[in-house]
Amino acid sequence: MSDPARLVTMNNAYDDLLRRTLSSIQSDLTRLIYLASTRDYNSGVYHHEGLSARYGPESTRVALRAAHKDIFYKLIALSLEELVNELEIYVRISREAPTGFIHTWQELEPYRVAVPMEVDSTMVQLFLSNIRLALEVLRFRQEHSQAYPSASSLQPLLGR
Amino acid sequence: MMSTAIFVAVAIFLVLFLLLIMRREEVEEQESVQADGSTQRECRDTLQHPGLALRIFSREDREFILLMRSPRLQRIYQEERRKVALHWVRQTSREVSRIMRTHGLIARQSRNLDASAEAKLFFQYLQLRFICGLLVLLIKTFGPHALHDLASYAGELSQLIGRALPDAAAANHVASSGNPGTP
Repeated sequence: MSDPARLVTMNNAYDDLLRRTLSSIQSDLTRLIYLASTRDYNSGVYHHEGLSARYGPESTRVALRAAHKDIFYKLIALSLEELVNELEIYVRISREAPTGFIHTWQELEPYRVAVPMEVDSTMVQLFLSNIRLALEVLRFRQEHSQAYPSASSLQPLLGR
Repeated sequence: MMSTAIFVAVAIFLVLFLLLIMRREEVEEQESVQADGSTQRECRDTLQHPGLALRIFSREDREFILLMRSPRLQRIYQEERRKVALHWVRQTSREVSRIMRTHGLIARQSRNLDASAEAKLFFQYLQLRFICGLLVLLIKTFGPHALHDLASYAGELSQLIGRALPDAAAANHVASSGNPGTP
């Protein structure tokens, strides 16, 4: 395949990924985790059966890698408050008990594997730090809502 | 004459001290990077993201945390931001040093070297290293929002001094009325 033709295929794969798959996912953090889950832990290579069948494995890999980085950059640009909202949505989607979820994420730090490869190290540090802070904020809200149930009814509550 | 010499000596000492801090920071950072094997993630585009600094030192995030009114959250926030801010300063400094080393290697082989442009570049490099050293010192001592905090503190102090000297306003008024150019 010639270079321009390959570029068109990659663009089509990327558009398809955005239009069909990622648009149906509720939040950017959930999209990031979904995209990270398409990457092999050992090789770092991205896989997607449907896209590969349509556009070939190479274009699919490039599209997934690009989408992963783009979503990561979007999350880095969010304020802490917006990231807390993203995390709140993700907790709700996971259908886990918020307390257990927060505890597990603080203990195991599974969000570390959601970071794309070959991105700026300060961005990685900022992302990981912001997630740790967002977890602390959710934990604080959770504890606060348990201690003051009537007062917390005025705030957006976790797991509502 | 004597006071000028002392001033120059103090300035030189400060510059050398900050350069020494930066050098030590660089060595520590290189050791930690080698230890955690994160060289793969080494920056290639830090300098292309000036918005990153705005996010790290964001006042919006700080105010969001302050609204929670939790000393624990505030402490964690300060610590987290301090770490990221120091990482950013060290990385920026290291990246610029790397660029300068590469430039030095190329410049040595160049036949038509522009001495004034080189001197200007070197001066800018020293300026940046000095600022990075100062930032490390400020962040480590006063926290990630050091500059903003110091400016606020200076503002509060000037207000306090203004209030403590009730005749200062009158003196200012007399001084300004004596100057025909002042409205």
